[in-house]
Amino acid sequence: MTRSAEAALLLTASVVAAFGTALVGFTRGIGLDAQVALTFIVFVGAFGAIHLSLRRWAPSANPYLFPLAAILAAIGLTEVYRLDPELGSVQRWSLLIAAGGASGLIFLLRGDGVAVLRRYRYLFLTLGVVLLLLPWLPDEWLVHGIEANGSRLWVGLDLPGRTLSFQPGEIAKLLLAVFLASYLADHHLAMGTTRRNIGRLALPPLRQFGPILLAAAAAFAVLVYQRDLGASLLIFALFVGAIYLATGQLAYIVAGAALVVAGGVTSYQLFGHVQRRVGAWLDPFADFSDTGYQVAQGLFAFGSGSLTGSGVGMGRPDLIPAAATDFIFAAVAEEMGFAGAVAVIAGFALLVAAGFGIALHTRDLFRRFLAACLTLVLALQTLLILAGVLRLFPITGITLPFMSYGGTSLVANMLLLAMLARISHGARA
Amino acid sequence: MPALFLNLLKLIFLALVYLFLWQVARSIGGHVGAPQAARSTNRAGEMVVVRSDSIAGQRFPIGAPAVLGRSDQADIVIDDPYASDFHVRVGVQDGTVLASDLGSTNGTYVNGRRVTVPTPLIQGDSLQIGKTILEVR
Repeated sequence: MTRSAEAALLLTASVVAAFGTALVGFTRGIGLDAQVALTFIVFVGAFGAIHLSLRRWAPSANPYLFPLAAILAAIGLTEVYRLDPELGSVQRWSLLIAAGGASGLIFLLRGDGVAVLRRYRYLFLTLGVVLLLLPWLPDEWLVHGIEANGSRLWVGLDLPGRTLSFQPGEIAKLLLAVFLASYLADHHLAMGTTRRNIGRLALPPLRQFGPILLAAAAAFAVLVYQRDLGASLLIFALFVGAIYLATGQLAYIVAGAALVVAGGVTSYQLFGHVQRRVGAWLDPFADFSDTGYQVAQGLFAFGSGSLTGSGVGMGRPDLIPAAATDFIFAAVAEEMGFAGAVAVIAGFALLVAAGFGIALHTRDLFRRFLAACLTLVLALQTLLILAGVLRLFPITGITLPFMSYGGTSLVANMLLLAMLARISHGARA
Repeated sequence: MPALFLNLLKLIFLALVYLFLWQVARSIGGHVGAPQAARSTNRAGEMVVVRSDSIAGQRFPIGAPAVLGRSDQADIVIDDPYASDFHVRVGVQDGTVLASDLGSTNGTYVNGRRVTVPTPLIQGDSLQIGKTILEVR
């Protein structure tokens, strides 16, 4: 069960993707068209390139990571293409670019590449914070920030005729994970063992936590100021989770949860946009036509999906605002039903299990922490947005990895898998 | 397109997705969870003497708890004037490697910090007894 099995799975995922595109064609009454072939070629090309790079530079890497990403991407692209064929074809280009990036990273990290990452942690931290700050570039510049839906998260590059835009925060989370893993690999023992006692209260060693707290505060401040609820929660949970992984002390999770609640209550008092989101979470039907509209439409989509869904192209997921990005899971649930939604969750669960499995199989501390931190990023992001769409948690605008429409998100998550794959190669060698 | 045909296609699509996930779930077992070697207690690595005047380079397997000390009666004899007769006990207990100081005069240091309670050791940790340093591998 190795590389040739991976090839078979990737090919199956490509067939599923082409099948999805064909389904959209059938319900539109166009039947089979060139788009079906195009989807198939893009999937085979993108994942084939990754597969060949793995064969060449990481032959004993975990063979399930990219097939799972491929099946999720196939389901996601089917819905994106169904919602808007225009977006679907952009997403196919993004997939090719993401696959190129992932193959390149597998090449760069060959040999001792992963160990090199460990040495430049403060460079990565600085780069990460700079990326988070990029959206503040003034509007007049060639490279400038873009404001959308009340948050300034995008950076645009003006080219003749069109503007290329991307979301630097998506890449920043990877750099922060590398920083965290490197820092923890050097300091986890001191962080876990030495403690000062004040009365009955055991205090962690502040000197060891200084840099990590500063880093968390910097990343957090930027994101809160940018009003990016999803990314700030994601980064905060990543830091808390990583510290827990490194020290094994449950107290950090409790303290982190308490801070989230305290921060949530404070920002609820201070910011209108937080109030709107919490209001939509508690009772989306109280203000159905305005603030609660998106969440309520999402719930309708789940309700009308039933067991096997309406069928691709036969529901009305287009009624949900941001159906192709944040709410893609609701679109899947409506048109592929409970069965499709469970398949998506199962796919992510297997991916996360494989990621933590890589961490457990790796003996080198830095790689072990890096695998765990990267998996944590993936798991937390998935949980936050799925819980938001299902109304288990206030909606925090972030993308569902591999499935949502969005080039930067796709590239960032494929790079994440490339790093995981490279680490898993080292673990088994 | 007749509705029946479209419904059939919808079910085939879902079936394909589930077939795929089933294939992965069936064979992913070995890649998930902790590796077997780490769980078993008899393969817990070894200690290598990395600094010592007389016994540098010696290797001792880590397994059932063994006493390290200067005395001839110790399981592993550490030839070091600063080591106590029965200095520290190292061994696998409940799947983890523990170092328990036996009330030594000059103390036991794990990664440079003095430890007085049983302390888990992992790969890469250093264990200092007197002037002798061992590394867990």
